[in-house]
Amino acid sequence: MTVPTLETRGLTKRFGGLTAVDDLSLSLPSGKLHAIIGPNGAGKTTLFNLVSGLLHPTSGDVYFRGRNITGLPAHEISRLGIKRTLQVKSVFARQTVAENLWITYEGSKRFLHPFRDADSDTVARERVERTLEQIGLTGIAQRQAGTLSYGDVALLEIGMALISDPQLLLLDEPTCGMSPAETERAVVRIREMARTIDIVIIEHDMPVVFDIADAITVMAQGAILASGNAREIAADERVREAYLGRPEDEDYVEEALDA
Amino acid sequence: MSRRIAIERVIFGMFAAFMLSVPWSVPAVVSPFWVSIITEILIWSLFAASVNLLLGYVGLLSFGQALYFGFGMYGVSIGIDLLHLGFWPVFALGIVAAMAMALVSGIFAVRLTWHYFAIITVVFSLIFYFLAVRLKPLTGGDDGINFSMPPTFSFGGHVWSFTDSTFQYFFILVTVSLCFYLMHTVIRSPLGKAFLAIRDNDVRASLIGINVYVVRLVAFVMAGFLAGVAGALFAFFGRYASATYMFYQVSGEGVVWAIVGGAGTLLGPVIGTTLFIIIREVISTHWEHHSLIVGVVAILVVILAPNGLVGLWRNALDRVDQSDNKPVDKLQSRTGTP
Repeated sequence: MTVPTLETRGLTKRFGGLTAVDDLSLSLPSGKLHAIIGPNGAGKTTLFNLVSGLLHPTSGDVYFRGRNITGLPAHEISRLGIKRTLQVKSVFARQTVAENLWITYEGSKRFLHPFRDADSDTVARERVERTLEQIGLTGIAQRQAGTLSYGDVALLEIGMALISDPQLLLLDEPTCGMSPAETERAVVRIREMARTIDIVIIEHDMPVVFDIADAITVMAQGAILASGNAREIAADERVREAYLGRPEDEDYVEEALDA
Repeated sequence: MSRRIAIERVIFGMFAAFMLSVPWSVPAVVSPFWVSIITEILIWSLFAASVNLLLGYVGLLSFGQALYFGFGMYGVSIGIDLLHLGFWPVFALGIVAAMAMALVSGIFAVRLTWHYFAIITVVFSLIFYFLAVRLKPLTGGDDGINFSMPPTFSFGGHVWSFTDSTFQYFFILVTVSLCFYLMHTVIRSPLGKAFLAIRDNDVRASLIGINVYVVRLVAFVMAGFLAGVAGALFAFFGRYASATYMFYQVSGEGVVWAIVGGAGTLLGPVIGTTLFIIIREVISTHWEHHSLIVGVVAILVVILAPNGLVGLWRNALDRVDQSDNKPVDKLQSRTGTP
C-alpha cells in the first residue's frame, strides 16, 4: 500500500460554538485529481486553511506523505511543496504580472539575498518567461496585477501555482467568477497540471467537477457526507438531498442558508 | 522612455553637483548658516528613510523610529563622555545599540500589523524616553550630554575632525549617500522583493513560502540601522545628545516627511524632509505658529497626492512618456484573445 498524499485524522476546528470541521478523517491517494464539494458553510475552505497552516486545528492531525505537518507555520508547509490558491483571488496587486511570478518562484528559498540585484538571476527570469507563455499572459507581463481582469488574475494564480513546483496543489474555487470561455481555458490548464501534480480542488461548478475529478468527496457540516467517483456521487441519494437534485444551480445556496 | 531617463539623469546630475558644491556655493549666495541647515536636512532625510523602509516597502507604520535615533545619539555621546572612546568606536557603538534595540522591540512588534504595530512602537519609544529622562547620571536627563569632538582621522601630523565644517559636511554627505545606496541595493534584491510581497499581501506571501515574521524583523532591524546612523551623525553634528529626540513627536515628524515626500520611493523622504525643514527655518523666524503651515501642507498632499510629491512628479513623467509614444497603445492587449 502506498502512502497517501494527504491524510487527516480526526481533524476538528471549532470557532467558539461553531464546529467548522468535525472529526474529519480523510485519505487522498496520490496520482488522482480530487474534488471536494459541499454546500456553503460545509467547512471546505476551513479544511484548506488547516492543511496549509493558515489555521491550526482544535484537535486531530494532518499528514502529508506520511509526515505529520499539524501546526507547522504556513511558510514551512509551503516549502514542503503544498501550494494553494485562495477563494478570493489574491495576488500582489502593486507588482507586475512578471514580478508576481518571480517572487513566487523565489519565495520558497530559505535565504533571500539582501544585496544581489534581483534582475541578475537568469534562471528565475527564464522560468518566469516560460510560465508566462504557459498561461498565455506574456503580452501583459509588465501590467500591474491590480489592474487585471478577474479572469486574468485567476490565470495568474494558476501561473503562480505552476512556477512554485508544487507536490500537492490546493485550488479553492479556481473558476469562480470566470466567463465560460475562461473556465474552459482554466480547466485545460488544471488537467495538464494534474498529470504531474496531485491536486485537490474545491469547486461549485458541477459540470467542471464531474468533468475533471477522479474522486469526489462531499462535505456537509464539517464532516464527510459521501465519497466516490463522479457516477457514484451523482447517484448518491444523500448527496442529491444535500443539493444536487435541484434543477436550478442557485437553489442549493438558498437551501444551505436556510438550513 | 529615453526622454524620461534623460530628464531624470540631468536632474540627478544637477542635484549631485549642487550637493558637492554646498560648502562654497551656499555661503556665496545666502548666509553660511544654510550649510548647516542642509547638513541637518541630510541627517533627517536618513531618519525619514528609516520610516519609509518600513511604511513604504514592508507596509508597517512605525511611530517609534525616534527610539533608534535616540539610541544612535546616546551610543555616541555616552561612548565619548563616559567611556572616553574614539570617533569610530563610538560611531559603531551608536549603530549597534540602535540595531540591538530594534531587534529586541522588533521581536515583539512585528508580530502585529497596522494600528497595533504603530501603538506598540510608540509604547516602546515612550518607555525608553521616560527612562532616559530619569537616568540622569547616564543620560543627563532633560539637560542631555554635551561632549567635545574626538578627531575622525589622524594621519601623521594631520588631523581631520568635525570641527572643520567642510569636513563635517562631506563626512555626513558621504555617509548618508552610502546608506541610501545600501537601501537602494536591498530594495532591488530578492529580500527587497519579499518586502514588497509582504506589503501587498502578507497572507499570500506566507503561502508562497516567505517567512513573513523573519523578513519583517530583518526589515525592522535594517530600519533601526538607518535611524541609528542618523542619530549618531546628529550627535556628532550637535556634539550633544538629549532625550528630547526620543520623544514620539520626532517619530511623527519622520512619518509626515516620508509620506509627504512619497512613501515607497527611495528619494521621497529626502524631498519631504527638505520641504519641511526649509518651511520651518524660513517661517519660524517670522511667525511662531509655523507648524500650522506644516499641518496644512501635509493634509493637502495626503488628499491631493496620495503617493506624495514624488508620485506627482512620476505622474508628470508618465505624461511625457505618453506624448512620446502616442501611436502605441499604453495598455498593450494580450495577443490572441478577443
